[in-house]
Amino acid sequence: MTNSLEFKSSFINNSEKKPALDTEGRNLLARPRFSLRLHILLLFILFSFLSMAIIIGSVIVINCIQKKISFVQTTERYLFYIEQARRWEKNYFLYDTNLEDAIQITGNAKTLLSQNLKKLMTVLSAEETANMIENLEKYRSLLQELTVLKKNGIVNAGKKHKIETSLRKHGAEMVKVAAALVYKEQNSMNAMLRLIQRIPIYCFAVVLLLTIFLVHFLSKRLIKPFNLLIESTQRIAKGDFSLVPPICRYRGEFTAVEVAINQMLKELKSHELTMVESHKLRAVGTLTAGVAHELNNPLNNIMLTAHAMLEDHNGLSEDELLEMINDLINEADRSRSIVRNLLDFARESESVSEPLDLGMLVSETIKLTLNQAKVSGVKIETQIQPDLPRIRGDKQQLKQVFLNLILNALDAVEKGGNIKINLKKADSPGFLAVQVEDNGCGIPSHILPNIFDPFFTTKGSGKGTGLGLSVSHGIITMHGGQINLETEEGKYTRFTVILPSRNIPADFNKT
Amino acid sequence: MKENLEILLLDDEAIVGNRLGPAIEKVGYDVEVFEDPKKALNRINEKEFDIVVTDIMMGDVNGIQILEEVRKKSDKTKVIIITGYATVTLAREAMDKGAFDMIAKPFTPDDLRSVIAKAADSLGYKKIIAKA
Repeated sequence: MTNSLEFKSSFINNSEKKPALDTEGRNLLARPRFSLRLHILLLFILFSFLSMAIIIGSVIVINCIQKKISFVQTTERYLFYIEQARRWEKNYFLYDTNLEDAIQITGNAKTLLSQNLKKLMTVLSAEETANMIENLEKYRSLLQELTVLKKNGIVNAGKKHKIETSLRKHGAEMVKVAAALVYKEQNSMNAMLRLIQRIPIYCFAVVLLLTIFLVHFLSKRLIKPFNLLIESTQRIAKGDFSLVPPICRYRGEFTAVEVAINQMLKELKSHELTMVESHKLRAVGTLTAGVAHELNNPLNNIMLTAHAMLEDHNGLSEDELLEMINDLINEADRSRSIVRNLLDFARESESVSEPLDLGMLVSETIKLTLNQAKVSGVKIETQIQPDLPRIRGDKQQLKQVFLNLILNALDAVEKGGNIKINLKKADSPGFLAVQVEDNGCGIPSHILPNIFDPFFTTKGSGKGTGLGLSVSHGIITMHGGQINLETEEGKYTRFTVILPSRNIPADFNKT
Repeated sequence: MKENLEILLLDDEAIVGNRLGPAIEKVGYDVEVFEDPKKALNRINEKEFDIVVTDIMMGDVNGIQILEEVRKKSDKTKVIIITGYATVTLAREAMDKGAFDMIAKPFTPDDLRSVIAKAADSLGYKKIIAKA
């Protein structure tokens, strides 16, 4: 009990240390408490009751048998008295001996009967008992009558003969009843003995069944939570940070583990977000060349036009002037949209889930990289299937994933290489697939298992953070999708991002 | 020797040609302006220019290819490379392949005119006025 108290109090301390125990945690703790300790205690109590019942049952049965034995002895003695009486009776008829002994022994039988009347009543019906006593009484009185007749000398031969016949009849009846009783009681005792022989077998069967049940129950109660926890940790390792569902219906030892894991998941989630954010800024850094080039073009156009206006402002016709001013405005607009597109991606923001047109999102991302591709002399081919259903997700994060994949592809290809980006319905219904394929160096098979690991990079120090694919994998998993990879060294690499779609066509909500 | 220096100006940004064409013409050069690198290449094959000014980052054909083509055709022609994003690697490559000079966007018409003047100078045209 102290253990459980300690456990409880340490728990309270824990929650005091972290007052921000979330609702899930509180809900988990609010459930009725039914700990493993209690389970085991209850099981032990059940087992003890069972063994106690078996012991008490055996004692009762043995006691019964003992009583049975003494009763059988009694009936046997009764039978012996009766038979003895009948032997005296026989001697009387054969040798005309006296009947005193017979009378005395029937008296003994009568005493025996009246002493054991209660026991007898439990075995025989009241009628049978009464019949038995009546027979005995009758037999005894006949004996006494006969003795009286003998003493007085034979007066009436007819009467004597009548008494003798009746005596034989009752005597035979009495022996029959007593023998039947003995036989019956012996049978019943044998049945009891057989029962007590079988008790250990029955007990063994019950204990066996109970043990099987307990093993099953305990394994369910113990192994199942462990398995669930293992499943959860494997899921977490893959980057799915959704909370662990309640393992058992009641609060127990595992609840603490659940609460702790959920707390850890919350922290992991927030760390992941920070990592995603910081990696995004790195990605923006790598985009610099492209963006600078892209931005320098309109800037150059503005500069040239402004200088042309400055140099020739006197000699310009109205139309020429108007054309130049329009150029200035258009080019300024162009610069603004370039900056906006970049900032739109780079801006730090809360993670928001909203309906998205994946095609548009992919095109916008490609736009960010087009100049980077130009700088590297790489061609980007885009194929976007029209009228695809929308998806639900975080715009910035998904852009970041595709940007990572495209920038990786740009790193992998030589000058004059080719990147194909393809958006279509995935093979499994309800999913969209974005493929980013390059005809670059491919990925050597020995590093394949590591490429989604955080901080794993093949780029030289200072060039890659080793977070791109890890972060991308995290983002896609959070969106309920997956990233697949096919590659052949020296030939191609194809990343396929699969995302769940919503069943509303992209154009449906556009207006 | 020709009366005027002949220059080919190539940039896929239309405004560059629109503004620089007149700006160079008015200081006394003959300028042909191109937006499409393929057409420019055809013209280079037809005619030997004194100076070729080309942007480096263009859709299908890039400035380095233009430079190589020009080098194949004539040793005399000076090639000036315009770039939107100047990197050391790019500069080295351009210089290795025989570019006369490089000029980074954004630049002013005067920046280009002075580079052209230097090129003209090296070609032996002394009389060029830097500014109209």
